Amino acid sequence: MSDQNNSGGLINRRGLMKTGAALGAASLLYPPKPSWGASETPIKIGMVDSTTGNFAVLGQSAIKGAQFAAAELNKKGGILSRPVQVLVEDDAGSPGTGVDKASRLLDQSQVDFFTGTTNSAVSLSISQFAAAHNKLFVCSGGHVDKLTGPACNWATFRTCSTTWIMTSGNSGTLVEKFGKKWYFLTTDYAFGHSEQDDYTKQVTALGGTIVGGALVPVGTPDFSSYLIQARAAKPDVLCLLLAGDDQINAMKQITQFGINKDIHIAGALFELEQIAALPEEARYGSWSFEWYWDQPKVPHVLDFAKRFAAANKGQYPSARVWFGYASVHAIALAATAAKTTDSVKVAKAMEGLTLPPEVALQPTLPTYRPEDHQLMLGMFPGTVNQHGKYPDLINVQAYVPGATIAQTPAQTACSISYPT
Amino acid sequence: MPVVLIILFNAFNGLIQGAFYALMAVGLSLILGLNGVINFAHGGFMAMAAYFAYTLVPYVGFWGALIIAPILAGGVGYVVEQLIVRRLYLRDPLYSLLATFGLALIIQDLLRTIWGAQGVPLAIPDFLNQPLSQVYFFLTGYRLFVVALAIISTTGLFAILRFTRLGIRIRAGNSDLETIAAVGVNIYLLRSANFVLGIMFAGLAGILAAGQIGLTPTMGDQLIMPSFVAIVVGGVGSLLGSLVGGLIIGVASGVTAAVYPAATEVIIYVIMGIMLVARPRGLFGQEGLLE
Repeated sequence: MSDQNNSGGLINRRGLMKTGAALGAASLLYPPKPSWGASETPIKIGMVDSTTGNFAVLGQSAIKGAQFAAAELNKKGGILSRPVQVLVEDDAGSPGTGVDKASRLLDQSQVDFFTGTTNSAVSLSISQFAAAHNKLFVCSGGHVDKLTGPACNWATFRTCSTTWIMTSGNSGTLVEKFGKKWYFLTTDYAFGHSEQDDYTKQVTALGGTIVGGALVPVGTPDFSSYLIQARAAKPDVLCLLLAGDDQINAMKQITQFGINKDIHIAGALFELEQIAALPEEARYGSWSFEWYWDQPKVPHVLDFAKRFAAANKGQYPSARVWFGYASVHAIALAATAAKTTDSVKVAKAMEGLTLPPEVALQPTLPTYRPEDHQLMLGMFPGTVNQHGKYPDLINVQAYVPGATIAQTPAQTACSISYPT
Repeated sequence: MPVVLIILFNAFNGLIQGAFYALMAVGLSLILGLNGVINFAHGGFMAMAAYFAYTLVPYVGFWGALIIAPILAGGVGYVVEQLIVRRLYLRDPLYSLLATFGLALIIQDLLRTIWGAQGVPLAIPDFLNQPLSQVYFFLTGYRLFVVALAIISTTGLFAILRFTRLGIRIRAGNSDLETIAAVGVNIYLLRSANFVLGIMFAGLAGILAAGQIGLTPTMGDQLIMPSFVAIVVGGVGSLLGSLVGGLIIGVASGVTAAVYPAATEVIIYVIMGIMLVARPRGLFGQEGLLE
């Protein structure tokens, strides 16, 4: 009869002991992670970025960078002895969705700070949202000038460069080496407009002329009609100011039409992720890179690249990875200096914060400028290494410290006032 | 270069692009006609076939992949038809629209999970990958090949519809499904075959597109809207209409690019709007279908 009782699912003494022993053994196999005190609630960083849509690849890189930084911080005791959590929400590349997700992160998860965004339009909307809700926002990847210009606010800091810094990273060299007649193919939203304005100012100041240009809607699969116009204008430089997958489509079609044989292709932003997605014949041109993993003379960089690759299935860190990484570390450094998670105090501590060598990972140490909250990120102008194997895809030709090419605080037209 | 010449160039270029839209629209149109399903997952199937081709190229080469990948996609299409689409034939078209919309999202996320969000290059044979003439530089070997294939495959389709028993049944079913069921045609089998045929067309278009633009999980999204517009302009239910509709919007957006580039995308919807107001059934559409 007792057998029947056993099979009836009742727990007897022997079964209980077995389970207890198994649990004990399991806890030996999986030792507990470094334990945080029960009272130590995590510091939550809400990251709004693209995991789907046109910017998914770039957004996911930034997210990996941010998560890698959080893991590093947690190994060393977190921020203010509290664990760090990066909570990710997908903006799908749309400002409306971005704000919706930010509001969810704030209401449901009570995040302490915001970071992320790849699409500049999303950056601008999250910046306004963050300021309105008194939360610090460290923009990792939206480049539009006005975020740290006319549209700046106390709550917003930016790790990636402005389009002005990016374009002035190579405009001089391009005019000198390839010619003064420029034609633009520009993505039709805030980021592209900002880049084109900046290049236009710089090129005309150098005595160049703009012989034409076309605004291209985001998500255009076919560039043939634009390329017919571009070639008809006979420019020296065909300047591509596209973003995400659009740039890949355009680059492929330019080689198919043989346009890059007689016109020099150049532009500001071109990313490791995009180059990797192109077939060899479509890897060309001169660009302003914002960060690169291969800086043989700079300490910590190769070590970082290897550690990151080991943790991410061999994927090497790109500029986007570094943006996410540096943004989370910057928040940690500022919060540690301010000894609080209060956004106003952390923001004040972040003004003038200089990234230490193991976070900066470049020849000079960039600072978040107090006047407009823009990181004085250096540029790595260079060319694409056409026949290289991943991740060896970029030939960096120079390093230009950001502070030497950025607009002055007076030029950016930003004025910051804190809530009283 | 004089403006007139640029416009002519763009019109010619638009014709090439239009042939491509037409190829995509034909598959959609087939499924819409007999199955009565607005297949929102068409773009997903295009991308899926292109990824199949990408995986197959190292083993069977570009040409092998061009044949095998659409067949594989057709196989997946068959399973989808059996499990999901078939159950919705008797219901309001809204159900199948919602189901295929959900399916589109599922396919896209599956592709992203398996092959990654990052684009991958689909290599096309070198000899196709260059311009044929210095002046008409936009006419590459590959684009000519795409146009030729579009012509061959749609002609083939028309021949099937005109001369084979299957084709005649499909056309008959298009005009009156109940009657052909009454005379003993297995309409479930017929609709399965038709769905698979439509998906194979999607697959072919997807591979050809991937050779020209990048291969990403979202590539279908960028291409699907023009083909819907092509169908509406050409007339729902008419394959010839889809062909002509594709060519019209191709040329229209090409010419617009010469005059006012920012409107190249808007123009096709303007054409659709005008068509819906002036002639709701489209150029060659049957009156009353899906109304």
